[in-house]
Amino acid sequence: MWKFTLRRILIMIPQLFVLSVLVFFVAKAMPGDALTGLIQNNPNLSPQMIAEQRERMGLNDPAMVQYARWVGNLFHGDLGISYVHKVDVTYLIGSRLANTFYLGVAILILTYIISIPLGILSGRYQNSLLDKTITGYTYLSFATPLFIFALVVVFVFGFQLGWFPTSGSVDAGVQPGTWDYFMNRLHHLLLPAFAGAFVSTTATIQYLRNEVIDTRLKDFVKTARSKGVPESKVYSRHILRNSLLPIAAFLGYDLTAVLAGNLFIESIFGYPGLGQLFLQSITQRDFSVVTALVMISGLLALIGTLLSDIILSWVDPRIRIS
Amino acid sequence: MLGSKKRSLKTLSILMIALVLVLSACTKSTPATDTSSTTPQTNEATKDTGKFPKAATNQNPAIQGGTMTYGLVSDTPFEGILNPVFYSGNPDFEVIQFFYPSLFNNDASFNIKDGGAATLSFSQDNKTATVKIDDKLNWTDGNPVTAEDYAFAFEVIGNPDYDGVRYDSTFTNIVGMEDYHAKKAKTISGIKVVNDKELQISFISPDPSIKAGLWSYPLEKKVFGDIPVAKMSSSDPVRKNPIGYGPFKIKSMVTGESVQFEANKDYFHGAPKLDGVNLKVVNPSVIVESLRSGDIDMASFPTSAYDEKTLPTNIEMLGVQDLAYSYLGFKLGKWDKSKGENVMNPDAKMANKSLRQAMGYAMNNAQVGEQLYHGLRTAASSLIIPAFSDYYDPSIKGYTYDPEKAKQLLDQAGYVDKDGDGFREDPKGNKLVINFASMSGDSVAEPLAQFYIQNWKDVGLNVQLLDGRLQEFNSFYDRIEKDDPDVDIYSAAWGTGTDVNPAGLYGRTAQFDYSRYTSEENDKLLKEGVSEKAFDNAYRKDVYKQWQELMIEDAPVIPTLYRYGLTAINKRIKNFDISYGSGYGGDALAGIELTSETPIK
Repeated sequence: MWKFTLRRILIMIPQLFVLSVLVFFVAKAMPGDALTGLIQNNPNLSPQMIAEQRERMGLNDPAMVQYARWVGNLFHGDLGISYVHKVDVTYLIGSRLANTFYLGVAILILTYIISIPLGILSGRYQNSLLDKTITGYTYLSFATPLFIFALVVVFVFGFQLGWFPTSGSVDAGVQPGTWDYFMNRLHHLLLPAFAGAFVSTTATIQYLRNEVIDTRLKDFVKTARSKGVPESKVYSRHILRNSLLPIAAFLGYDLTAVLAGNLFIESIFGYPGLGQLFLQSITQRDFSVVTALVMISGLLALIGTLLSDIILSWVDPRIRIS
Repeated sequence: MLGSKKRSLKTLSILMIALVLVLSACTKSTPATDTSSTTPQTNEATKDTGKFPKAATNQNPAIQGGTMTYGLVSDTPFEGILNPVFYSGNPDFEVIQFFYPSLFNNDASFNIKDGGAATLSFSQDNKTATVKIDDKLNWTDGNPVTAEDYAFAFEVIGNPDYDGVRYDSTFTNIVGMEDYHAKKAKTISGIKVVNDKELQISFISPDPSIKAGLWSYPLEKKVFGDIPVAKMSSSDPVRKNPIGYGPFKIKSMVTGESVQFEANKDYFHGAPKLDGVNLKVVNPSVIVESLRSGDIDMASFPTSAYDEKTLPTNIEMLGVQDLAYSYLGFKLGKWDKSKGENVMNPDAKMANKSLRQAMGYAMNNAQVGEQLYHGLRTAASSLIIPAFSDYYDPSIKGYTYDPEKAKQLLDQAGYVDKDGDGFREDPKGNKLVINFASMSGDSVAEPLAQFYIQNWKDVGLNVQLLDGRLQEFNSFYDRIEKDDPDVDIYSAAWGTGTDVNPAGLYGRTAQFDYSRYTSEENDKLLKEGVSEKAFDNAYRKDVYKQWQELMIEDAPVIPTLYRYGLTAINKRIKNFDISYGSGYGGDALAGIELTSETPIK
């Protein structure tokens, strides 16, 4: 087990290297840079000033030199300075990370709260009206575009009913660290989290349903039934546990998704997170932020897969390859 | 749908600057003594400015105090660089205006005039400017705003470590600035602190543009003095606890999302009427609902969300023309880097003046404005926008839609269809295909480009979109700046800023003159426009009139559309005026009143 993990971690090093080369040169290949088109705002800008800024940012150096400098800084934990935001990228990402993390975790929790019971019910009462309703719901949520659903949710619960705030992650003026602050944040979080959860339940419900249907017919379940175990216990003890295992294995991937941010939701709810930051940085050619975010999500993806594999091999010894 | 919205992020922010400038120029409602608004309105473009009121019409009795909610319309968080010396994004500017307004008051043509937090006067030879800061003007930390603070702003912007974008021609024209910037001098020799509240600035050459373009924000030396210039933009006094001298001060803030302002009781022109302002970021896709529900009392209204039929009834829409115009550019040459000059190519595809003029007459901009932009854009007639009411010449008609004239011009110039395919060949008989670079962005971008192409087809010109598609913002400007030979014509827009001088965009040495047009006459007029003689406004007016006529005649670029900037306000807001030049920006915000405790729904 330890050997397996260690080997996987060692493999990550060349993977990250290849990723860094790709990310850097693809980012550089995008036309323009952070100063492109700036003049459109202010005709008084001088071309000399823009040239000086490019020089100061090192944009005129050969690509190899820029790459070496960037990687060198990476080893010192220095992700560079954002041109658009004029702060260290680490600080910038850090300030958005918490928001993204809370939103991601809230979506994840809500997704499981909704999908696990529905998946089990749907599998247990296969082909019943309940099953058909639930399956219908999964088709609906699968087909609903997130940005439209999010708008509808804001419109109904935010504006019409006024139950939830319509933008931001917290109100200004609430003292951080207090109970009020926590409740205020939670209040802001619920609506976007629900919008996100609604459209991400499909996979889990369908997967769980199939697992339950599969497991139901397995020999050990028949054995349990023939021993006289009550039906409810058959489900909670035998079927449910076995059906949930593969879902647990996906947790690793889910954790990566949590930190990737959710562009549409962040946008519509005015919720500052990493998804928005990423897109904004691409359109404004804020290279240091783009490369940093891709590297981080690359690293997370690798860690996520590793986690998934570890969980899987832990719950299912057959997977543990020598 | 959202995809295109995101792509247009930068474009949107560009549009926002004009909207923002509208607000920054807004003023408290004073009796209409301003003569500039009574200029004879003969032209289509100026006639239309009456479409929206420029000031709140609410006449109900005001309540005491109250808090207004301001919506910062943006699909990203504001960056949080809350200082006029360092910010670059317009969302930040919308926050800054509440607590850190400009020192100066401006007239309708944006020239500095008395009535603000500082006054500007010139010496006899117009080479030295004296700025006097109001004696009562204090930072909200209690320190007075001094001449030293004002000088400090120049020192920071001129410092080679400065990481912002404000170091422009108004700075390099200051005596000793270039030496200081090159680290050859420790101080700027042309800037002299006379006393606590008075500063003298000497210029290399007298330039009437100083009257509109002079840097207008101090930077508190007691706070920033010890911070290295390169670190200032990321320092706490910029990010976490910014301090200004405006009508409001920051009480608390969630960076990127919202700000709670409270009244600055010590504001030098008297405490503001409101108790406070809550500002929050609102996504453009929900702005209409936010206004309808009363969540938001005031916002720069995104033109893309405008539809007369669905506008909420509880809001009033104020509008003025934006400081911007759209134009069609013709690539006529190249930027010669070694000479630092634009060089025209006489063999360029678009070198024929008649061809350019014909393309101008073929475009139906009035219809574009009416149908694609719901009337929020109007056909443009001149490269100097009507907002510069002193210099804009309404007698110039520009290129109004006249396809017959276009055909006639083309016929005369020898552009005729020789092979009968419905498209004209060039005078030598070669096939003529014109490549059109147009930017992607909002949902109108594609139909707009296709509309123009159809217009040109109607007069027999074969115009094709460059690469068969719209260009993304960055690659568009990348190709235009580098004079990509595949680009023959392009459509783009300029924000004009508040300085009427167009030399930065159309001069021989102007790198941003993307058409690469040059002519002796143009050089002469642009030079005259900023000469010492041009301190006489009548002379300057005449020079710019000639220049406008020249540019219409030579047609290196053709102005296509002027635009409205809209500000939506809840009907409980009183005493708010966004017209240019009616008073000092800080006072405008200080004067806002409410007529009910809660927003009208």
